[in-house]
Amino acid sequence: MSDQLTMTAAPGAPAARLGRMFTWASERGTLITGLTLSGFILFIGFVGPFIYPVDPFAIHPNHALEAPSLAFPFGTDELGRDELALLLSGGLATLIVSLPAAVLAFVVGVAYGLASGLGPAWLDRLLMRLLDAVLALPSLIILLFFASLVTLNNTSLILLLGFISWPSLARLVRNETMAQKGRDFVLATEQLGAGRFYIARVHLLRVMAPILVVNGTFMIGDAIFALSALSFLGLGVQPPQVSWGSLLETGLDIIALNPWWMILPPGIVVFAALLAASLTGQGLLARWGNRR
Amino acid sequence: MIRMVASRMASSSLSIVILVTLVFFMVHLTPGGPAYSILGQKATAASVAEVNARLGLNVPIWQQYAVWWWHLAHGQLGYSYLLSRPVGALLWQYEINTLVFYSVSIILSTVLSIILGLIQGVYYGRWPARIIGAFQLGFYALPPFFVAAILVLWFAVGLKILPANGIVDLREANPGIGSYAAHLVLPVTTITLLTVCSLSRYFGEAVHEELGKEYVRTAAAKGVAFPTILIRHVIRNALRPLVTILGLSFPYIFTGGVIVESVFNYPGLGWLMWRSALSQDYPILIAIVLVIGILTVVGNLLADLVNGLLDPRASYE
Repeated sequence: MSDQLTMTAAPGAPAARLGRMFTWASERGTLITGLTLSGFILFIGFVGPFIYPVDPFAIHPNHALEAPSLAFPFGTDELGRDELALLLSGGLATLIVSLPAAVLAFVVGVAYGLASGLGPAWLDRLLMRLLDAVLALPSLIILLFFASLVTLNNTSLILLLGFISWPSLARLVRNETMAQKGRDFVLATEQLGAGRFYIARVHLLRVMAPILVVNGTFMIGDAIFALSALSFLGLGVQPPQVSWGSLLETGLDIIALNPWWMILPPGIVVFAALLAASLTGQGLLARWGNRR
Repeated sequence: MIRMVASRMASSSLSIVILVTLVFFMVHLTPGGPAYSILGQKATAASVAEVNARLGLNVPIWQQYAVWWWHLAHGQLGYSYLLSRPVGALLWQYEINTLVFYSVSIILSTVLSIILGLIQGVYYGRWPARIIGAFQLGFYALPPFFVAAILVLWFAVGLKILPANGIVDLREANPGIGSYAAHLVLPVTTITLLTVCSLSRYFGEAVHEELGKEYVRTAAAKGVAFPTILIRHVIRNALRPLVTILGLSFPYIFTGGVIVESVFNYPGLGWLMWRSALSQDYPILIAIVLVIGILTVVGNLLADLVNGLLDPRASYE
């Protein structure tokens, strides 16, 4: 049980909370299902457009808003664009923003946490107070707010998502650093004259590696959710580019016409992506938690 | 108890002040600014200067910041750029809708979570708990916009038994309470489905944990019937973590609220925030950030107070 305490995911992150619910499943099954789903999502986004090389933006006015058929496997939207091609292109747009954003958030979170944990006491107090302020609001609210301030494109979205979603990881890294830095091997290294950066790089990061990987996985899910939600609200990926969130929103705009083929596929892939991230993270958590 | 509440409030208030300060400076240091969002990107320099002068944006930023707090101290949150109405009155109007929406959702979620959590805790590890667990996981991973879309597709478009959006039917001259209620069904269902899965999980875990404690065995040994133990002892103790989670999830329910209110065009605070973000109406946005910050603090405080009532020991921790 003590392992579970140190191995817990960052509090507040939706994917992390989801992961904790899944304790009844077998860890191996969880990890395998998660990895398979992750592979499927990556395949859709990065390989899909090449396997199904149909121009997602080609307009077929005579085939507007058609249900799935042989010519258009996933139907067409209100302009007569191929929904399957849009879904694949939307997958690429979603992943090329959310994956770098998760990496950026990860780097910022680890750096912030280490700085707070290893720096002087006044810096720690200042950084943690700032963290509390950012954590006082759900990240989607802050995201919505900042998304209204900036010109939205892939770069700004990556920066936005990256610089908003780090706080929970930062707190986790800081607390871990605090717990680890009093341990004998760290003190011994310090006595031998090692600098803070050396200790952070060689000892702390290595000890924390499992927690970091698990939380990094959860962060990918959170980034995909945040981007999809933002796009759904019209403040994410901007037209003419499409993303899973904006595709769902387009379908919802004309929902009175019952375009179920425009709503179910993007919803299901976002669902699958979130499930993939949390199952993988949870699987890794169970595996490393038990090995310790 | 009072000291704990006071210190919690002081530290949370500081967080909110920092947050609002961050938000304020971000808004006012961003190039472009409100003048462009009112006049459009092609506005001339003269008209921009004129609008800036009218909105008080031509004085140094620290002065604007001081003025903002000065006005807040007098109960004024500024004027909406686009709607030209006082933000306070606007917020209040939307806040009422949101409060109705959330109170119904939270009450419903809590009752459902207690029922499901009890089943899950009592049948821990056996099939009834597993079925509930699978549903919890499934609904938790579902993004709120997808849940809302499916519900609309099914009940409003397919079966045509419930309205798809709005707060009342605009074609009715005098919409009764029934019309309001019917328009609440789908948004409330969405939020409840999403909230229940995590709440009931926490409650189920707590019930399971409490059932393994010694006082349960003692009561059973005394000859107290199992349902009585459950109702008189276990529920009361297991409610504590549920209350804490409920308090903490206030702002998260609001997040779901932004998406749900936008899907259903339900004119609440989340919807107002969404529209203001799209039209860059900063006075409203800053005020909403402030309101949600306060809601967060209030949620935590309420949770502490209720926990103090449920278990007097909590007050001394």
